[in-house]
Amino acid sequence: MKKTIANVAFLALVFIFIPGLSQAETMYAKKNGVKVTAEKSPTSTVVGKLNTGDQVQVVKKVGRQYQVKLPNGKLGWVFKFKLSSKKPAGKTSGSLLSGLTGKTTIAARESRSGGSIRGLKETTENYAQGKNIDPSHRRSVDAMEAFRVSDGELAQFQQAGSVGDYSGGG
Amino acid sequence: MKRTTIAMVMIIGLTFFVSEGFAFFDQIFKAPPKKQQSQGGQAQGGQQEQPGLLDVLGVFGVKKKDIDLLKKGVGVVQALQPIGEEAEITLGEAVAVEAFSRFGGEYRDERLTRYINLVGKTIADVSDRPNLNFHFAILNSQEQNAFAAPGGYIFVTIGLLKTLKNEAELAGVLAHEVAHITQKHMLETIRRGALLSNVSELTLSAMNKDPKMFSNVIDEITDKLFTKGMDKDKEFEADVYGVEFAYRAGYHPSGLRDYLKTLKSQEGHAQSRFFTTHPSTRIRISKIEGLLGQYSDGMKFPVLAKRFQSYLGA
Repeated sequence: MKKTIANVAFLALVFIFIPGLSQAETMYAKKNGVKVTAEKSPTSTVVGKLNTGDQVQVVKKVGRQYQVKLPNGKLGWVFKFKLSSKKPAGKTSGSLLSGLTGKTTIAARESRSGGSIRGLKETTENYAQGKNIDPSHRRSVDAMEAFRVSDGELAQFQQAGSVGDYSGGG
Repeated sequence: MKRTTIAMVMIIGLTFFVSEGFAFFDQIFKAPPKKQQSQGGQAQGGQQEQPGLLDVLGVFGVKKKDIDLLKKGVGVVQALQPIGEEAEITLGEAVAVEAFSRFGGEYRDERLTRYINLVGKTIADVSDRPNLNFHFAILNSQEQNAFAAPGGYIFVTIGLLKTLKNEAELAGVLAHEVAHITQKHMLETIRRGALLSNVSELTLSAMNKDPKMFSNVIDEITDKLFTKGMDKDKEFEADVYGVEFAYRAGYHPSGLRDYLKTLKSQEGHAQSRFFTTHPSTRIRISKIEGLLGQYSDGMKFPVLAKRFQSYLGA
């Protein structure tokens, strides 16, 4: 009986003095290249980037920004809609803090077999030829797929309009 | 008796393992898939020539007819498999060619296209498929329309863009289309269609091997997308997710509702297939208004009319 009381008391102490243990919320990066900034403001120094499936512990929630603790113990702020409480399906956790620079998106086109950057899939070419669709429309799809906006341009656009990572006065 | 029972239990077990829960029952109870003569025959022939995993059951004394039954069950399950992302993109690319072909071709304006892509990517980044590579293009048609092909291909006509008043409305329209893709509405629609017609599987290799089947599937998608429209429930669901995605992206969440109001005021004289491919505009507006109460903090978010006009102003 005494032993049981001692055990219960010990557990109670654990939960009282280490609140983080019972309340810590684990979340995962939903995409590659999620920015982690030193301050709540998304314009502050970038201290790292998360890849899809990277795990963080949420420390504080302020508006649309979450303060998170990274596995290496560092603290930083992340736009909350880039995080998910569920681990993304079929994604393996990449290396944390993949770097402060570098391209984070692998375009579907670039992942095609044969290493071809330009040109439509064989199925599309055959289909379009079979239906006698004007080649200009195939070129338009090609251009549509090839169209790129850089991470920097997107960030600048979002900051200027107070949308995306920069929304809600974050 | 015992062997038959074992075989039946294995069929049920495999079915549950491979299928997608209730979707399986939904399909089975609606109508049994018709066996395709050519493709199905080839596939079965292949299985007979080379002993597969299931044939090993014979070693355990399971009768051949029970193994055949098991194979049949697995065949049904294969047809119900979700369409993979690469196959989805393959379908979407061909549909994209059709979109340009049927709606006046590409509207060539590099600056405006860049703008549409920046707004679209801001939405896609906070959607439920942020890792999919979304593409946005403008169609050279005065008709008001927007649609999403599988795999992340999103189109909006110049006619629709000219009707919008601000960036929040544009974000609302694009978010509705992004939602069709994140919720895989078209894939679900064609998967059901494929089951009820003569298509046994919608994998990448099947589409590569059988151009006729591929062409039929594209016909089915374009018919739904450009003529008949999708189920009303899917349109309403795309509105719900669309409002959510626009809100997440930091746009005033009433953008889609505001555009639909403009569209409603033009009902009867606007040139738009929206009215035939989408459910009642009045009901959509009413449903969205019911949602907006959940986004009270978003009412201070920007609509960005000035920026929008700098791209589309006269």
